[in-house]
Amino acid sequence: MSCLEEKFDQLRSVYPAEMNSSLVLPLLHLMLKEKGHLTESDAVFIAQYLDVPPMQVKEALTWYTMLYRQPVGKHVIKICRNIGCSLMGAERLIEYLERKLGIKEGETTADGRFTLLAVECLASCGTAPAMQIDDTYHEQLNESKIDQILKELS
Amino acid sequence: MIEITIDNKTVEANEGETVLQAALRNGIEIPHFCYHPCLSIAGNCRVCLVKVDGRPKLMPACNQTVAPNMVVETEAPEVQSARAAVMQFIMLNHPGDCGICDKAGECRVQEYQFKYGMAEPISIEPKHHKKKFNYLSERIVLDNERCILCSRCVRFTREVSKSAQLGIVERGSHSYVARLDAQPFDDPYSDNVLGICPTGALLSREFMYKSRVWYLEPVRSVCTRCARGCSVNVWRRKKHWYVRSLGEEKNITAYRISPLENPEINGRWICNTGFDLHKFMARPRAMAPMMAGNTVTVDEASAEANRLLAGATNPAIILSAHASNEELQAFKEKLSPRVQVYTREDYCPAEGEVVEDDLLIRADKNPNSYSVHAMFGQKAFSAAAGHDVVIVWGDQVDYTSLGNAKIIHLTSYAPEQETRADVLLPISTTFERSGTFCNFEGKTNRFEQVFDKPKLVQHASDLFGRL
Amino acid sequence: MTETRVFFNFDVTADSHTLAAYRQRGGYQALEKVLKGMQPIDVENEVKASGLRGRGGAGFPTGMKWSFVNKQSPVIYLCCNADEGEPGTFKDRWIFENTSHQLIEGMIIASYALKVRHSFIYIRGEFDLPYRRLMEALKEAKEAGLVGEKILGTEFSCDIIVHQGGGAYVCGEESSLLTSIEGFKGYPKNKPPFPAVKGLYQKPTVINNVETLATIPWILANGGATYAAIGTEKCSGTKLFGVSGHVNRPGLFEKPMGYSYKKLIYEDCGGILGGKELKAVIPGGSSTPVLLPSEIETLTMDAEAVQAAGSMLGSGGVIVIAEGTCMVRLLQVLSRFYAHESCGQCTPCREGSAWMNDIITRISRGKGVKGDLERLECITKGIMGNTVCALGDAASMPVNGFLKKFRHEFEYFIEHGRSMYDGRLEI
Repeated sequence: MSCLEEKFDQLRSVYPAEMNSSLVLPLLHLMLKEKGHLTESDAVFIAQYLDVPPMQVKEALTWYTMLYRQPVGKHVIKICRNIGCSLMGAERLIEYLERKLGIKEGETTADGRFTLLAVECLASCGTAPAMQIDDTYHEQLNESKIDQILKELS
Repeated sequence: MIEITIDNKTVEANEGETVLQAALRNGIEIPHFCYHPCLSIAGNCRVCLVKVDGRPKLMPACNQTVAPNMVVETEAPEVQSARAAVMQFIMLNHPGDCGICDKAGECRVQEYQFKYGMAEPISIEPKHHKKKFNYLSERIVLDNERCILCSRCVRFTREVSKSAQLGIVERGSHSYVARLDAQPFDDPYSDNVLGICPTGALLSREFMYKSRVWYLEPVRSVCTRCARGCSVNVWRRKKHWYVRSLGEEKNITAYRISPLENPEINGRWICNTGFDLHKFMARPRAMAPMMAGNTVTVDEASAEANRLLAGATNPAIILSAHASNEELQAFKEKLSPRVQVYTREDYCPAEGEVVEDDLLIRADKNPNSYSVHAMFGQKAFSAAAGHDVVIVWGDQVDYTSLGNAKIIHLTSYAPEQETRADVLLPISTTFERSGTFCNFEGKTNRFEQVFDKPKLVQHASDLFGRL
Repeated sequence: MTETRVFFNFDVTADSHTLAAYRQRGGYQALEKVLKGMQPIDVENEVKASGLRGRGGAGFPTGMKWSFVNKQSPVIYLCCNADEGEPGTFKDRWIFENTSHQLIEGMIIASYALKVRHSFIYIRGEFDLPYRRLMEALKEAKEAGLVGEKILGTEFSCDIIVHQGGGAYVCGEESSLLTSIEGFKGYPKNKPPFPAVKGLYQKPTVINNVETLATIPWILANGGATYAAIGTEKCSGTKLFGVSGHVNRPGLFEKPMGYSYKKLIYEDCGGILGGKELKAVIPGGSSTPVLLPSEIETLTMDAEAVQAAGSMLGSGGVIVIAEGTCMVRLLQVLSRFYAHESCGQCTPCREGSAWMNDIITRISRGKGVKGDLERLECITKGIMGNTVCALGDAASMPVNGFLKKFRHEFEYFIEHGRSMYDGRLEI
């Protein structure tokens, strides 16, 4: 994990020294990028690096929804199910994606390519319905647009 | 000092304290789950909401600092209804399985539900289930369904014992108290969370299903496991509930130990070794006098001891650091001029035991070294001094270090090795007498008799009169 | 008449977010003016004079918030709340994507007024383009000496630290945001103490919304009085309103306070989808009580007017609902959201939000029973005002609002076991 620690060290300089504990969330994000999903031992690793109680990091890990604790597919599709998108057909699109991928919301395709998650508001209400694949937002969706987007993904 | 009004009663409050603290100090009850005087303010249970200065928004009394002439209402209709609502929320997914819960009878959720709850639950939803037998350690089991997430246990490990081994994981109604999967809750003070848990979520695995608490009563005692000498309660069966047929051993069983608040010595906490005091005391006893390995009568043993002492040219005694002040005084008056006095530490730190820490645990594993040293100084026994008779007081005695001297052994417990004592006289334990110890700081602490001593066992102080 | 614009004063192009473009439209002139010619207290007074109120939802006067901080304190922090998560709201995102420098300039000016050495931007973790644009802008600003040591050659230094959230609506609550920056799960804190007294790491802290801070440069450039002249007397300036839901042209609009809801919906947004009738409007983000068409007929978009109508201006996220929508299922979408986002700390919100969701979900599956609505009202009564933070109220207000305004739909669903409108959300 030494190369990870190097990356940790780089982040450390961003925060004033007395704000050591503030690095918990940035380091969890960083580690998630490296590993795809996080486990308790990752939380312990960060805690030891920062010299904060491991339970503090475990609490954070289990509390923030962006931190995956199960393996996810190569691409994570987060489709909004909140009010703005619901009014514009999010439920229909979630069903469409479920049918298309052959999985239920919360599941990963057998080939490990896609994980489908229904999430809360992505702040795309004016361009609803919206989804986020990995980092990228896709908005004003419809079925054919979804087909096109998924087709273009490797 | 400032004056505030609580429910039309003028009370004095200290500047800077909270409404809840002022109320409790003045004997006014405001219900509270998450507030604990030794822990930080969490303000999460919301059962202590009160009305302040007539304002419509209720404030948690635990987080409301007093101000001069503040008017607090704890029984206003809005307060009562908010409190009842909080009790509804608390009970929403609480299993209400008091019948098989060890906490029943001393459970705050039960008490408040009775006092402040609504007669009929509003909810018709099925209860949400959580993990039930969640073993946090060899010692503690957690029932996540009963837990009300007050975070007292979590704060205890973060603020008092400093192990920070507990936390609340997950979010919203899925939250639950947890430890690391990879590490048991092995905090040397872990059992304190049993007492501060306001409900039956955290339970002692050892005490589990052993007795209903209403059959038991506490007796004030002192932990003998180190020189801190923490105040403890020893829980015995109430006389009224004595078993008179099979199972009479229940009448002389110390069921559990709990901390007894003593601001001078241990505050509200004790260590796990203290929680195990009853197990320590329940080791095999020396129940009858013996001479050269054979059981004899008390009179025979005393006569032999007297004979040995009378014939001795250079007698000595090794004092016990487990002796009470009263016993040491009795010895001093009756026997000390005739013998050379040595001292010893009956108990040394065991392997794996915490030797000493910043909170309570002391390296000296005996309760009364302070008085022994104050009265008799500190001098280790030397076989080279050529003593022909040695009185050894206390247990954990290594006979080989005593040379060829004749041995009179006063002990509460059966010696671990085969005894070569010429005379063995069983004496009472701390649970079987009252008295005082002085802890390492010289603070005197009193313990009361919990049980009657067995018939053939004598109090050491009586023995000295006969020798 | 051309209306004054604080945000929509340029054409969005491929490079309109850059420093060069921002400078071209007058960017960082206010900062120069402040650092080289004004005392911190002058800046605070100017903001007070502008009448600017927080744009995050609560609408607290910004200048007054600043004045609560003891400026003698050796360390003071400024946090920009960019955890935009209130359903219906998507304005801060636009600022990041198109004019991050405006926020940066506002933050440095605010930091100067508040004597802040380290300021923070808490940006929601899901934001990708907004985050990248912000980081690019920060890099440009640092290189240009606009952020960091000795800004513009003066003695004033201030760093901006960007902290990404982890996916939690409650972290938009200011004390929760602080707990999150401190490296914990984002539990809100009990107040008092307020952040102005004990905030981030126990130091006095000001927390302002993105839009609020991004408005500061305009106020300093044009004067507080000029800003105060826009909008209504008690609610000055312009505001970003996001319109979503069943309208022909949803999107973000900058309007002076006091603008008409009806005009916004029927003129700016081109009316209701498919020419349907308007059924309801949620005026300021999902937490604000829903209003009927009759209630918005003459309603203006300013805090006082909306409050008088029984709701709140909130974050300016206007959600438009057309006739034919099933309000029961729509409420279930919201109750699921609040149950999902309740942090778990305090009893009423933790248990109550999940309980309400259980009941509303049951009703929306046709399993409602008589007494459910009274039960829901009893739960909201037990939650409201009794929680650590405002999330409890936010979860309860939509329930009360929907039950009050559309009770017959709920009663119908319970009685017949099905929706009056086939369970439609989409029109």
